[in-house]
Amino acid sequence: MTKRPIRRFFVLLTVYLVVAIPFKAMNLIPGFTDVRPVQALGPIYGIFFGPLGCLAAAFGNLVADTVDDALRWTSIAGFASNFIGPLLVWLYWTRVSRTPFSLRTARDLLRYCLVIVVMAVVEDAIVAPAVKLVYPEVDFSFLAAAVFGNTAGFPIVLGIPLSILLQEEMGLKPADARLD
Amino acid sequence: MNRLQANLCLLCVTLFWSSEVIIYSCIPEGVPAFATTCVTALIGAALLAAPFHRRVLDALRAGGVRLVLAGLGLAALNSSYNTLYLFGMKSLDVASSAFTLSMTVVVLPVVLLSMHRRVAARTWVSVALVLSGIVLALGKSAMVSANAPALGIIVGGCLLRAVMIVLLADIVKKHDPLVVTVLFEMFVVPLSLIGWFFEDPRLFAGLHLSRTLVSAWALYAYFIVAFATTLNTFSMRRVSATNATVIYSMEIVFSLAWGALLPGGIVERIAITPRIAIGAVLVVAGALAEIFNMGGKRKEAQA
Repeated sequence: MTKRPIRRFFVLLTVYLVVAIPFKAMNLIPGFTDVRPVQALGPIYGIFFGPLGCLAAAFGNLVADTVDDALRWTSIAGFASNFIGPLLVWLYWTRVSRTPFSLRTARDLLRYCLVIVVMAVVEDAIVAPAVKLVYPEVDFSFLAAAVFGNTAGFPIVLGIPLSILLQEEMGLKPADARLD
Repeated sequence: MNRLQANLCLLCVTLFWSSEVIIYSCIPEGVPAFATTCVTALIGAALLAAPFHRRVLDALRAGGVRLVLAGLGLAALNSSYNTLYLFGMKSLDVASSAFTLSMTVVVLPVVLLSMHRRVAARTWVSVALVLSGIVLALGKSAMVSANAPALGIIVGGCLLRAVMIVLLADIVKKHDPLVVTVLFEMFVVPLSLIGWFFEDPRLFAGLHLSRTLVSAWALYAYFIVAFATTLNTFSMRRVSATNATVIYSMEIVFSLAWGALLPGGIVERIAITPRIAIGAVLVVAGALAEIFNMGGKRKEAQA
């Protein structure tokens, strides 16, 4: 690995932590579960930075857990889901889709939303059973709904405008199919 | 960014603005509103200026004094209308405030007409839908209970806001929107510092910096100041001022949704009556007609 991807990885990790940590320090909506707008960054990292971005999202989540003193065995599942979810998004746009990533039409937007929903289901299927296994007292349906809400809601509400800004106005190009 | 994307971005900006109340509820009591504006504008400007400093310097060299004055003018208008809103809302109840604050959507086409600018027929339809939705949702009592001086102050604020939106739409079509955002936020800092000084002359010495306050300020700076303002200026380059204002009017729908969904400690709880629901549907219909360019040329959405 050359210096450039390493530097990029640390820049992405820093951005992730800068967004994640303030949310860890406060309970934004009392009575509701953890609100995690940082989840919007996972698919964006996958789309624009490929596997390197997915790794940054996974490590970012792990470091944020450590900073918050919330590092537990279930963090392994969190690491896996935060890597696999964005990776699926990257794989879809580099291996499955016939057209490159774009959000220019209503059809593109709908397709993006569907991919995000699939990603959220996969992440939920990794995290929720793992947490239930380690902490049987946890309300499984509430936890699953919270994980799904965070992993599908924020990438749609926040991720769509952020992707448009990055791609259309900042000139960032989606990652290609290479594993670098 | 095409028109559809710009409208979606504006919708997101409106959602962020409506959620300000949630972040504000996390700010400890006693922290002046101007302190939050000042500190978060400083953080937001720094966040944007740090990675794009070369772009800012290049634009300043090219744009010169005009660009700096544009940033200062926008910041001055923004601070003025926010101050008028603050004073006006002190004498009105929530429903009356919400109604009058939404008046920008009506004031703006009038401002445009007074500047001899054309307003599309479709936009008038959207404005009519939005206005009827607002009137229906808030009811007659909201308009009747409002006192005249306070109403006048808020309508004055709406007028300044409308002028600011028109100017912003013009400025970002000539200059780099990112640089306009940075300059705007940079000028908001000293202007809000003046307001803060009048509220509490001790300034920073009068603050008790807790972990919650720093976190709330960080969130406000990232999402409301840096992200939403940048998104707003970039989107404004692709749409007209009236178009943007129709989308902004969705704020009242988002506020109703927060009022219905969130716990009472954060927002004033709102019971969704059929009247409110129909009003909200009309506002959404007006915004959708603008977003999807209903009746317009399909080609425009692809541009």
